[in-house]
Amino acid sequence: MGVLRLSHVDVQVTDLDLATAYYTEVIGMLEVERDDTSVYLKCWDEVDHHSLRLEYAPRLGFRGMTYKVEREDDLSDLENKITRYGFPVQRISKGESVGQGESIRFATPTGHTMDLVYDVEKVGSALPKVNPPVYVDGLSGIAPPRMDHLLVTAEEVGESAKFFQDVMGFRLTEQLLDGDGHQMAVWMERSHRPHDLAFVRGPNGGLHHFAYWLDDWDHVRRSADILAYNGISVDAGPTRHGITRGNTIYFFDPLGTRNEVFTGGYRPDVDFPTITWTEENLGRAIFYYEGVPNERFMRVHT
Amino acid sequence: MTIMRLSHVEIRVPDLELATAYYTEVLGLYETAREPERVFLKCWDEHQHHSVVLSFAPTYGLEHFGFKVDEPGDLDLYQAKLEAEGVAVTRYAKGEWGPGHGEAIRFNLPGGHEMELVYDMQQIGNLLPLLNPPPKPMGLVGIAPPRIDHLFLTLEDVALNTAFLQDVLGFHLTEQVVGDDGYQIATWLEVSHSSHDIALITGPNAGFHHVAFWVDDWNELRIAADLLAYNGVTMETNPTRHGATRGYCLYFFDPAGNRNEVYTGGYYTDPDTAPTTWTEGEMGRALFAYDGVVKQQFLTVHT
Repeated sequence: MGVLRLSHVDVQVTDLDLATAYYTEVIGMLEVERDDTSVYLKCWDEVDHHSLRLEYAPRLGFRGMTYKVEREDDLSDLENKITRYGFPVQRISKGESVGQGESIRFATPTGHTMDLVYDVEKVGSALPKVNPPVYVDGLSGIAPPRMDHLLVTAEEVGESAKFFQDVMGFRLTEQLLDGDGHQMAVWMERSHRPHDLAFVRGPNGGLHHFAYWLDDWDHVRRSADILAYNGISVDAGPTRHGITRGNTIYFFDPLGTRNEVFTGGYRPDVDFPTITWTEENLGRAIFYYEGVPNERFMRVHT
Repeated sequence: MTIMRLSHVEIRVPDLELATAYYTEVLGLYETAREPERVFLKCWDEHQHHSVVLSFAPTYGLEHFGFKVDEPGDLDLYQAKLEAEGVAVTRYAKGEWGPGHGEAIRFNLPGGHEMELVYDMQQIGNLLPLLNPPPKPMGLVGIAPPRIDHLFLTLEDVALNTAFLQDVLGFHLTEQVVGDDGYQIATWLEVSHSSHDIALITGPNAGFHHVAFWVDDWNELRIAADLLAYNGVTMETNPTRHGATRGYCLYFFDPAGNRNEVYTGGYYTDPDTAPTTWTEGEMGRALFAYDGVVKQQFLTVHT
């Protein structure tokens, strides 16, 4: 009941062919569908239509995020809650967006376009449903099994956290507080993972990164090999987060959108007590091994 | 408003001291409470009071197992549902069953296993602070899994019990082995978006096949195998991989003969994901993907 998990991310790219080549050959996603302006991609173990939409635009940017809900009546339930909170909500019928089921769309308090979707078109994973092998042969690149989470930027992190907790039913797993006790960044979950969505201080409507799930730390190492081989610009890692305890690498796609590969972390229950980080521990909170974040990591977003 | 995950198992052991030494020093769980005939244990990253209870008994096996629910009203909801199905339900007040225990309802599955739903077990914290924590505590002993993961039961009628878990308790079927006669031989079900929280296989009613603890990755299985060999613990398999669930696994026995597993991998599944089916001829590969043959010991030994 309620929001289940991240369904897909929509980003603008200035070169659709270059972006598609990178996301299919270096990341190793599979192309599901293509039209004049967009390419729809999914990870090999995902069953739903797509988890990434690349859309051509004259400048790069973040178009929006879509989360999947568990039941059809979750849409009307959340539509009522969001409307009561004072935000207009738009209904999108099944099939109006490529591969999507019945949806609602609204702007969050921080100006991010968010969709909630029920009944996404299913195209199936790369494995059969009868006597499947444990492994898919011939995958290219990093080949993450699925999309995991995203981090977006917001001027008022506290306001976002309140909206997502009170209205959307997210649970706060971790928070970073400044010296005045205000939230600088928050991590929130719906799927019993350290985070499905996180906010960090920055311009409204911005995207810091989206992240793919990997099997384990060894898969992180192989990803670093693949990124280096392909001349991809690595931002940070392989390293470990203090927050979420996950293992990670950050890097940029050829057009400048930050990607992450992520694994590990923990399994929070719905009554998980929130972990708090204070500003003087910000370095270890973000990169536990280095103890200091790089300037680029703190400033660059799309 | 649902069942969240496996909370705990109560395991019978004929030698409480020996079993406690094994579960704390080899497996690496923490003792949180002790009575003359029961020892309460938890894994290091768990916040709740216990996930394993060792109970003195002249035999071995599973005394009962519990799943955790989200909200206080869930117990009433499931009690009503169970009673409407004609299932007898016993209620425990918070703390009544044992130290740190929550409010609970108890009932029997059709296959005779005693199952519990528990709410609000005492939260005692994991081994890390809630302010600026390091990612891992130092000085952990033994395998030290962060948490309990799933359990596997034997019963005569897999289809009947699977339908009960699906229809009455809201579990989702992720995988099944279907016999050539069309009947379910084994099933895997989840409530926590993981590949399984409970699994059932054909065998005697009320049988306990194993309880599994989560570890971080495949490398941890190698370290676990080193530790088990060093301590002279009987391993049933080498570190290997399941076809069903795609998880990595290692099986071994506690000193009383109860089977344990350390497990990692698998996949994330949505409630609307269609189940995967294995045919009887591929059952060997469903259980052990690398070997591809049915191990008779694995199918016949249980407690």
